[in-house]
Amino acid sequence: MKTCLWVLLFALPLAAQHGRYESESTNPAIGDPVAIAAGSELYLRSCAGCHGPDGSGGRGPNLVQRPMWHPLSDEAIFTTVRNGLPGADMPPTNLSDDETWQLVAFIHALIGPAAENPTAGDVTAGEAVFWGSTAGCSNCHAIHGKGGKIGPDLTNIGGLRPLAVIKKAIVKPSDELYYLGNESVTAKLRNGETVRGIAKNRDIYSIQIIDRAGKLHLLAMNDIAELEILQRSPMPGDYAERLTAQELENLLAFLAHQTLRPAGPEAK
Amino acid sequence: MRFIFLALALSSALSAQVAYEDILKGPGSNWLTYAGSYNGWRHTPNTQITPENAGSLVPKWVYRVPNARGLQTSPLAHDGVLYVTNTNSVYALDARSGRLIWSYVDSRAERQSPNRGAAILGDKVYFITSDNYLTALDRSTGAVIFSKQYARLEDGVSSSSAPLAVKDKIIVGSSGGDSGVRGFLAALDAETGEEVWRTYTIPAHGEPGSETWGDLIDWGGGATWLSGTFDPQLNTLYWTTGNAWPDFNGKVRPGDNLYTSSLLALDVDTGKFTWHFQFTPHDTHDWDAQSWPMLVDLDWKGSPRKLVLHANRNGFFYVLDRVTGEFLSGTQLTDNVTWASGIDAKGRPILIEGKEPTLEGNWVCPSVKGATNWMGQTFHPGTGLIYILTLEQCGWFNLSEQEPVPMKNFPGGGATEEGGQVILRAIDPTTGKRAWEYPMTGYGRMWTGTVSTASGVIITGDDAGQLAAIDAKSGSHLWNLNLG
Ligand code: HEC
Ligand code: HEC
Repeated sequence: MKTCLWVLLFALPLAAQHGRYESESTNPAIGDPVAIAAGSELYLRSCAGCHGPDGSGGRGPNLVQRPMWHPLSDEAIFTTVRNGLPGADMPPTNLSDDETWQLVAFIHALIGPAAENPTAGDVTAGEAVFWGSTAGCSNCHAIHGKGGKIGPDLTNIGGLRPLAVIKKAIVKPSDELYYLGNESVTAKLRNGETVRGIAKNRDIYSIQIIDRAGKLHLLAMNDIAELEILQRSPMPGDYAERLTAQELENLLAFLAHQTLRPAGPEAK
Repeated sequence: MRFIFLALALSSALSAQVAYEDILKGPGSNWLTYAGSYNGWRHTPNTQITPENAGSLVPKWVYRVPNARGLQTSPLAHDGVLYVTNTNSVYALDARSGRLIWSYVDSRAERQSPNRGAAILGDKVYFITSDNYLTALDRSTGAVIFSKQYARLEDGVSSSSAPLAVKDKIIVGSSGGDSGVRGFLAALDAETGEEVWRTYTIPAHGEPGSETWGDLIDWGGGATWLSGTFDPQLNTLYWTTGNAWPDFNGKVRPGDNLYTSSLLALDVDTGKFTWHFQFTPHDTHDWDAQSWPMLVDLDWKGSPRKLVLHANRNGFFYVLDRVTGEFLSGTQLTDNVTWASGIDAKGRPILIEGKEPTLEGNWVCPSVKGATNWMGQTFHPGTGLIYILTLEQCGWFNLSEQEPVPMKNFPGGGATEEGGQVILRAIDPTTGKRAWEYPMTGYGRMWTGTVSTASGVIITGDDAGQLAAIDAKSGSHLWNLNLG
């Protein structure tokens, strides 16, 4: 007898996490704004072509969003930059120790919250994109209590995530993200009611759903006759086309500024 | 099957917000303030757990709070959701299953210290970060509504207390009294976090009370690191204050050091003092007054009276008139009290000579930890008794003559805690006499509170790491669960 219908589940739990570091170096360049700025110059000149200006990858791998089983450390970056990866497409460099540490400091910062790094776009223009109807971000996301409750709160997104991760969440929302906590679900209850919304959490015994009106439904799985789970991110998948490159850059600058603590590397 | 996301027209209305009137009602199926009710009783009218069935209690679930080390929080309960806090974080749990609904972690907070709990009002859950941001979160999603800083770490202030929601305000306190700070209590607007009033617990130069200090008045301490109680009829907040600074060196701050180690009664709308009462004038043993001011109406020597009960760290149990602040009685709380022989008719301790911290060390009871502390007692209106975890412990108090430097964490000496025994005591507030006591075996750690049920059960922590149920009438053991 079919009592509970389970559609899906292919998202690998914790497939990727950003900013995972095995060790934090005590080299003075780390966290030093002057070194980071110098590292940024070096990076744009010699690395951005392969790793992307924001570290999100291209010919070379994404340096920001790291698989859990292969985290980076300051020392490992230093060695990779110095020696390259023989046999792979990653060339060695002949930079001085100081310059190499400047690069490491820059990558370290890149992996840190977006708010702590300079961004290119126009914040005010980005604000208009966020609240505007073309993007419709605020139908699902809130900032300081204004906006929708379906998507994660973005009030502190710049203080939380690296820019490359935010960008990826927008342009490739269904790519390798871990949805538990953000799944779109429809639960048909045994009492005939239907609850639709986001499952904030679930296991095989219970589920915690927040509906569009913002009401919580704390349900036991036994109460549910049929549970349907959306197989992709509820985020629209077409933002890369729907927004111009300029709009996206501005939007990112606006999101990078959403932080509960003062922005900028010097604030640390 | 295709999921049609936007086709949802939901019939169910928004679930109930928390109104000020709901908090006034006190606990039932909800627990809406740190102490459960404005009067600070930590008492539930629920009757499901009785002395007869307590023996068959079994745990339903366990939630492991991430990074928890010595949690000091009392969860709130509302509409089937528990709100638990830890350092710079809040966890909303499904009360029935123990599953996480949302969590909020302020990972960029610039300080990590314990957190004692949250407040709830309207659709918001409020808590305080260690670096003094009042953060308001949407109670169903954890989304940030605002996060507003009300004091600076640079001024020595950090935060650990549970805020208190009263009317349209959130009352917040301050920590930092062991390294020099000017303590204060502030009311912030519940909608915006904007400051409505701020009352310092240490007078400014020239203000009444400033004559009770020397040069260190700007850093006098008097932190307000515990939540307080509130009388809606009298429109009055009752809040206790912490030790004077430097903690153990009284020589550099001649006088009573108002308003440290005191109970303050303040008008909730203006923050103005109605009265104050100082338990330990010129404290040199770090005996903060941070233990609950419990508001009860009792027959006092033949006539009904509005009282405030307070078991103090200094070893005495106090009863005051909460309308006027008049001192009514001060009785010994623990057996070991060596610094004062009693409390005089005006409420001042009758000092025993030679009990100040010294360079070589001075043996004094109670210890620095105090005869009781912040964890919370319960008052049971049925038995008329108050149930307090007390500590029989003494310790060495040392003086240092090093120059006091504010914010360098210089307490002017040090103190030890030696052995000791935790004893749960049931005390009749009208006489100060013990109805019964429940001695425990353990390490004298004593960082747990008590709650009571209308059906006559006291739930408490045991000094050996057990959760225990005790019969409120007789003090006999009903049940225990080893939590390790
Ligand atoms: C010609 C393209 C190219 C350039 C230029 C380049 N890289 Fe790489 N990089 C790669 C490739 C490809 C890999 C992955 C090699 C592999 O693991 O197979 C890599 C790997 C890395 C890694 C290790 C990542 C991991 O997964 O362990 C780091 C760190 C790195 N590059 C940093 C830099 C920095 C800093 C620069 C600039 C000095 C730079 N790269 C320049 C192509 C490039
Ligand atoms: C239909 C609802 C919806 C719309 C519209 C929407 N999002 Fe999302 N968004 C979600 C949901 C649900 C998630 C969580 C699941 C996921 O990551 O895919 C999410 C995730 C995100 C994240 C990752 C959050 C985190 O904590 O890492 C970001 C950033 C984001 N969205 C930004 C945007 C922006 C910017 C827009 C507008 C351009 C937008 N979203 C439009 C629903 C939406």
